[in-house]
Amino acid sequence: MLSSSYKIPGGKLIKVKLWVDSEKIERITILGDFFLHPEETIQAIENALIGTELNVTSIESTISKVMSESDAKLIGATPEDFVTTIMIAWESQ
Amino acid sequence: MDEFRFIDLETHDAYMNMAIDEAIMLAMKEGKAPPTLRIYRWNPSAVSIGTFQSMSDEIDVEFCREKGVDYIRRITGGGAVFHDYEGEVTYSIIIPKEHRLAVSDIQESYRLLCGGIVNALKHLGIVSEFKPINDVNVGGKKVSGNAMTRKHSCILQHGTTLLDLDASLMFTILKVQQEKISDKMISDVMERVTSIREVLDRDVQISELAESIMLGFSDALDIDLISGILSEEEQESASKLAQEKYATDRWNFAR
Repeated sequence: MLSSSYKIPGGKLIKVKLWVDSEKIERITILGDFFLHPEETIQAIENALIGTELNVTSIESTISKVMSESDAKLIGATPEDFVTTIMIAWESQ
Repeated sequence: MDEFRFIDLETHDAYMNMAIDEAIMLAMKEGKAPPTLRIYRWNPSAVSIGTFQSMSDEIDVEFCREKGVDYIRRITGGGAVFHDYEGEVTYSIIIPKEHRLAVSDIQESYRLLCGGIVNALKHLGIVSEFKPINDVNVGGKKVSGNAMTRKHSCILQHGTTLLDLDASLMFTILKVQQEKISDKMISDVMERVTSIREVLDRDVQISELAESIMLGFSDALDIDLISGILSEEEQESASKLAQEKYATDRWNFAR
């Protein structure tokens, strides 16, 4: 399992736990003290990320798609911050 | 003036406190509960974590068990909060989504509802300010943390206001390894966080803070607070939620 923490400058803390299988996300948990409405969107994002290739473009587009489908609002963090935290975990190996 | 049901200072355990919030939302969704403000304490003292946090990452669960401190996951985002029975007062405000006080912009909504705490502090003679995203500060130091969710056709915001602060106990509970709890870290927290007793340098009582919170919300939101209690249905639903959701490891250790 890979993990990472990313403190958004002047803001919230995001943590990621990442399981990887052949350069794709096998399982992921996104943790932190941000706000996301509706809250269930986090599971939708985590599920959608399964099987996603570990590069910025793929991860960003998967998260954006779920955010828009769920009409979700992220407060105290941005989808790009999620991507950054995931990539820090991936590059930590 | 809009009327709100007001449930004055009560004490419950963590599971019941969080269950009551959700029970009120569920009743409100069915049109069976009026807009409500409640004020409460936590006994035993408890730590609550944000809905997206990991219990085992954030909290020294073993220490909490030994000391009889409850631990619970909230339905709201945000960070971990230590609800010291002797050191803080919590409020919850639950508003149907079509209400004039349920503004759609989340940041504006925090600003509006945190106005209740800014006003409460004013009643105590303290000048404070809303600090986005979800804090109220006095002289640049945090004194109140707040968190909101929008579901069951309502807005729920709950928040803590610090009366007193035991920084070393807080650090132990919030899983900072003992050897890392340096004097430096404690002084850092004292730089960032304050409490009402520290600001006023007098022994402000829980009841005085609770009354100020009541007056603060009434003034800030221009609402008439009508003393009330939970309905029988809300009470039953809260007991059920406490037992079947909030007291379970399945919920508390879900992440």
